[in-house]
Amino acid sequence: MSVLTRGVRRALLLRSFAVQGSWNYQTLIGTGFAFVLLPVLRRVYREDEEALREAVARHAELFNSHPYLVTVAAGAVARLEEDGAPPETLRRFKSALRGSLGTIGDRLVWQAWRPACAILAIVLLLLGLPWWAAVSAFLLAYNALHLWLRAWGLRVGLRDGLAVGKALREAPFQRLGDRASDAGAFLAGLAGILALGSAARAPAEYALGVAALAAGLWLGLRVRWAVWAVLVAVWAVDTIVVATS
Amino acid sequence: MIPEPGALLLLVAFGGVVAVDGTSLGQFMLSRPVVAATLAGWIAGSPEQGALVGLFLEAFHLTVLPVGAARYPEGGPAAVAAAGAYAGTSHSYSALLVVLVFALLWERVGGVSVQWLRQTNVRLSPPPGRTSIRSGRLERRHLYAVGVDFARGMALAGAGTLLFGWVLQEGFFLLPHGGVARLALGGVLAASLGAAFRLFGRARLQLLAAGAAVGVLALVLFR
Repeated sequence: MSVLTRGVRRALLLRSFAVQGSWNYQTLIGTGFAFVLLPVLRRVYREDEEALREAVARHAELFNSHPYLVTVAAGAVARLEEDGAPPETLRRFKSALRGSLGTIGDRLVWQAWRPACAILAIVLLLLGLPWWAAVSAFLLAYNALHLWLRAWGLRVGLRDGLAVGKALREAPFQRLGDRASDAGAFLAGLAGILALGSAARAPAEYALGVAALAAGLWLGLRVRWAVWAVLVAVWAVDTIVVATS
Repeated sequence: MIPEPGALLLLVAFGGVVAVDGTSLGQFMLSRPVVAATLAGWIAGSPEQGALVGLFLEAFHLTVLPVGAARYPEGGPAAVAAAGAYAGTSHSYSALLVVLVFALLWERVGGVSVQWLRQTNVRLSPPPGRTSIRSGRLERRHLYAVGVDFARGMALAGAGTLLFGWVLQEGFFLLPHGGVARLALGGVLAASLGAAFRLFGRARLQLLAAGAAVGVLALVLFR
C-alpha cells in the first residue's frame, strides 16, 4: 500500500507554506525542505529510526527553489523515497532541479505576476474604488496563481517523479509570464497618468509630473533612492524656509 | 499619532503576521504594503488613510525583487507602522510626506533585521555534513525560527508605530505649503510607476503608451 495517502499529500501541501521558515545563508531552504518531507519520511522509514535520521539529514542539506514551486520537488522526492531510490540519485535530482525551480518562479511570480497585480490595486485605488475592493482584487488575483502553482506542483511531482522536467518544460509559464508582463506594462502607463491627475492642478504641474514619470522610466530599479532623496529634500527645504521666515 | 493602547497591541500583533507572511509562512502577500498598510489603517480607525499610505509604499516597493540571498528592504512591518501612525493625524500631505520618509528608512531597518534573522537561522539549522538528524528536533527548530520571525515583526511594527507616532505628534514637519508636498508626492508616485515598467521589459513600451493614453482619456472624461 502506498505511503502517499491523501492525508500525507495534504500534509505535504500544508507544510510547503512554511518551507522558508528557517531560511538561512548556509543551507538556504534545506532545513525547510526536510520539514516539508517529514510526513513522508516518517512513513517510509517508520520501522527504522536510524534510517529516518539519515534521510532527514540528507534532505536538510543545501537546497533552494521558488517557494511556490517547491511542491514540484517535494512531490517528486516523496515519490522517489517511496520507490526506494538510492540517496545519490535523490541528491543529483535535487541538485538538477533547484536552479530551474528558482528561475521559473522568480520570472513568473516576482518579476511579472506580483507587480502586475500590485499595480492593478494601485490603479483601482487611484480610480477611487473603496479600499476593500482594491485589496481584495489584489489578494484574489495574486493568490489564484499562487495556490494553483503549489497544488499543480505537488500533483505533477507526485505523478512524474524523476521525469518532472518534461512537465515543467510543457507548462505554460513563459506564456503566462508574457501576458502578465503585457498587463503590467499597460497598467503601469495607466497608473502613472492617474497618479499625475491626482496631484497636478495646473499645466506646469502636469509638465512636472510627466518629467517625473520619464525620470522613473530612465532610473528603473534605482528609483527608490531618488524618491527618498526628493521627499527628504522637499521636507528639509520647506522646513528651513518656514523656520527662517 | 500614537494609537490607543488596544489598537497599538493589535498593530504589533499584525506586524508579526505580516513579517512571517513575507518570507517564513504562507506568502499570501498580506505583507505587501498596499495590503498591510490598509489593514493597519483599518485597525487604527482609518482604512482609507491606510490605503493612501499603502498606495505610495506599494509603488515605491514595486522594483524590489527578492531574488536569491540579496538583502532588500522589508515592506510589511514598516507599512503597518506608517499607516498605524498616519491614521490618527489630520491627514495632511505634509504628514504623509514625513511618514513616507520614515517608512522608507524603516524598510531598510527591516531588511537588516531579516539578514540578522537569517544568520541566526544558521545556528538553528543542522550544520552541513551531519549524517543523522532527529526529525522531532529539526521540526521544533524550524517552527522556533518562524516564531523568532514573528517576534521580529512585532518588534519592528511596535517600535516603528511609536517612533512615527511620536514624530507626527511632536510636529517635526513644519511644511506649511501642502501644495509643495502634494506635488512632490505626485511626482515620486509617477516616477515609481514609471520605474516599475522596467520590470516588464522595454519591448512593451507600446503597451505602456496605450495605458497612458487610456489614463489621459479617463482624466479628460471624468475630471
